[in-house]
Amino acid sequence: MTYRLLPTWLVLFTLLPTLMVVAVSFLTRDEAGFIAPIPTLENYQRLLDPLYLKVFLNSALTAGVATLICLLIAYPFAWLLSRLGPVWRSMLLTLVVVPFWTNSLVRVYAVRSLLAAKGVMNSVLIGLGLIDEPIRLLYSGWAVQLGLVYVLLPFMILPLYSSFEKLDHRLLEAAADLGANRVARFRRIIIPLTLPGIAAGCVLVFLPALGMFYVSDILGGARNLLIGGLLKDQFLDARDWPFGSAASLVMIGLLLLLLSLYRLAQGQAGERNPVDD
Amino acid sequence: MRGLLLMLLLTLPLAGATNAAEVRFFNWSDYLPEEVLERFTAETGIAVRYSTYDSNEGLYAKLKLLGGKGYDLIVPSTYFVDRMGREGLLLPLDRRQLPNIRHLDPHHLDKPFDAGNRYSLPYLWGTTGIAFDSRRFDPASLQSWADLWRPEFRESLLLSNDVREVFHVGLRVLGFSGNTTDTEQIRRAYERLRQLLPNVRVFNSDAPLVLFTTGEIDIGMMWSGNAYRAQLENPALVYRCPREGCGLWMDNLAIPIGAANPEGAHRLIDFLLRPDIARLIAEKTRYASPNAAAVRQLSENIRNNPIMYPPAEILEQGEYGTDVGAAVTLYAKYWERLKAGD
Amino acid sequence: MISLRTVYLVGVLILLYLPIAVLAAYSFNASPVGTNWERWSWAWYRQLASDPALIAATLNSLLVAVMAASLSTVIGTLGAVGLRFGRSRWRGQIMGLLGITLMSPEIVMGVSLLVLFIALRLPLGFWTLLMGHITFCLPFVTVTVLARLGDFDPKLIEAARDLGATQGQALRRIVLPMTLPAIVAGWLLSFTLSLDDVVVSFFVTGPDFEVLPLRIYSMVRMGVKPEVNALATLMFAVSLTVVIVSQRLLQR
Repeated sequence: MTYRLLPTWLVLFTLLPTLMVVAVSFLTRDEAGFIAPIPTLENYQRLLDPLYLKVFLNSALTAGVATLICLLIAYPFAWLLSRLGPVWRSMLLTLVVVPFWTNSLVRVYAVRSLLAAKGVMNSVLIGLGLIDEPIRLLYSGWAVQLGLVYVLLPFMILPLYSSFEKLDHRLLEAAADLGANRVARFRRIIIPLTLPGIAAGCVLVFLPALGMFYVSDILGGARNLLIGGLLKDQFLDARDWPFGSAASLVMIGLLLLLLSLYRLAQGQAGERNPVDD
Repeated sequence: MRGLLLMLLLTLPLAGATNAAEVRFFNWSDYLPEEVLERFTAETGIAVRYSTYDSNEGLYAKLKLLGGKGYDLIVPSTYFVDRMGREGLLLPLDRRQLPNIRHLDPHHLDKPFDAGNRYSLPYLWGTTGIAFDSRRFDPASLQSWADLWRPEFRESLLLSNDVREVFHVGLRVLGFSGNTTDTEQIRRAYERLRQLLPNVRVFNSDAPLVLFTTGEIDIGMMWSGNAYRAQLENPALVYRCPREGCGLWMDNLAIPIGAANPEGAHRLIDFLLRPDIARLIAEKTRYASPNAAAVRQLSENIRNNPIMYPPAEILEQGEYGTDVGAAVTLYAKYWERLKAGD
Repeated sequence: MISLRTVYLVGVLILLYLPIAVLAAYSFNASPVGTNWERWSWAWYRQLASDPALIAATLNSLLVAVMAASLSTVIGTLGAVGLRFGRSRWRGQIMGLLGITLMSPEIVMGVSLLVLFIALRLPLGFWTLLMGHITFCLPFVTVTVLARLGDFDPKLIEAARDLGATQGQALRRIVLPMTLPAIVAGWLLSFTLSLDDVVVSFFVTGPDFEVLPLRIYSMVRMGVKPEVNALATLMFAVSLTVVIVSQRLLQR
């Protein structure tokens, strides 16, 4: 019945527009009107330029590191969260999300103020006498990572928490009774059972991170071109929709490839895939 | 479920019903004091639906896709007036409905991007030049764009995050126009800019003024309005138009071809050209007004401030951006390479 | 005795709240620019109160966020349940479409949705905005709920049916309560996403419906606006209050 809603919605609002994008990627840029109905493979050929590989790798690396850091911070947090009593648990959970209802852009600017030469961090360090001159914290890779992690942390915490929450603690007790130490319990029970949560969290952080070029712009000085920025340049500045579409599709394609490789690996490891039968 | 449906029904009237006595004004953000619109409505009875954008490209894309419809008054920059005018997206202005044109400073009228001001009238303008902290750098040694290439500025510069503005610098140091469509000239500018890259610390088109006042940046490109405000915070800040010439920018009032209420739009334009209103806008937004009568009403220290209202020679030397047509893809291609660190 | 656990929990929370604290501090700073503290001032809050357009935009955004989150949670949860327990042969394709939505760069989504709406001759405004928001929220809800449903034993449903329940009842009484944390998580994620969205909103909203993130984005880019700090601090304070109050009410 209403289970059909999701597929219907997706077909209308994702499939249709995506098909349009596919069609456009094979057409030519038009000076006056965005697209000219002249078919060509030129856009895809242009993508073979090593420049674009570099952009993609840069973006993937940045997003990947951010995902990893998020995972490392969020995992213990979600675990501890799930162990709290129901009252504390729901309060803490909402305490985690509430800051994210203030606009993320404004918060990134706040992070910038924190790290600025005359910003809070430097003022504190100087005030404590630890340093004499302000250190240049901004416009570095680490500033960008801090910004990304900060914006995306709840997208890792929430799915992880939901996974931890259904963890049956009696399994752990039983394992302990059977002589398994903490490390073993962790490796053999906790990690495998929270794998769906980990996977979900990683997907929900990595993919948006790929597109968040504005964090890199504001905190990283915009010296590195990332995918999001490239696409914005192509669609808006250069008004080259066909090329932008081709780049976008190739990116999506590569990501789908990565995702299916991951699922293959999961299948081979003998995990029960939650989606397929 | 029923509650949800009820909520949906209640919000139906919110969905786009357009009124005849209404003007839809699409403007840059932070570019108009609220009271201006309130006074307009109080005086004329016409309501204004105000929404904002933050880039010419976004404005253009949306307007183009909507076929020139959807808004009654927009504020594109020079090269977009050029482009949109040529593509027939703008309505020629009816002078008879705009008696307040006479207040505009003729220095800002009839420019190459819109000959005879067929489609647009100036709203706010400024220059793009070099700003630096005079306590760190000797003002006498920084007279031209070419000076930015000096090795002592390694990893210190702020450059605009805008392809045209940065290429304007690259082209001017080579003696070319910032609006060239010549492929060879553009390529040479790209090569020259590549050599500037090691000196760049930040590409930034958000308020660069913040970076200066927080001490993050000591030297870089800046717009006149920003520089004026930064100088108020830090009197040691120096802003100058380099020898090769400043960039000149101007945002202009224009009416899309598919405007639903062109008469209302004309009335709003005329209202905005009134000296007292134009003065209010200039004061609140802290940018320079092209309205001579309004400028005369401004306080002395702003009026005579060389940053905000530079002498005529600066205007002669500077260049307004015009549309470069298909060459924009070439510029974009080189910009990509520059940003990717190539 | 403060345990390591508490330290960690509190530590992460401090990390999350530090920038907010900075924001709040600046909203009371009389100096409009820079990080130099001048003096305490309510000026920006006063300015905020006298900016009806900004307030209207905030209310608009909240309305859209609540509706987009709720609708996408409903559609996404049902979809996830259908994917997990149903017998559709299109499962792989649906997952693929969800993936594409997640991976689609915002600008591509914004532009292509706009073209779609124009082709369908829909007037741009609240409804097109809502549709756009639901679209990008859906995969977040679905993925979160699916992860939770992953190890769910279908035998529980069989058992319920053996005891006389219909498919619908089984799902409502057994699956839904157990999936509740994931559903709530999905709603929270969607609400956050919707409140924050700039790019898609820009393309699919109409002139009559201004949304907050767009205005903030432009305001912050054109020049630092302490008004925005005040607004952000206010929104934060209000949400915190709402949350704490609803917690208390739920406890009764």
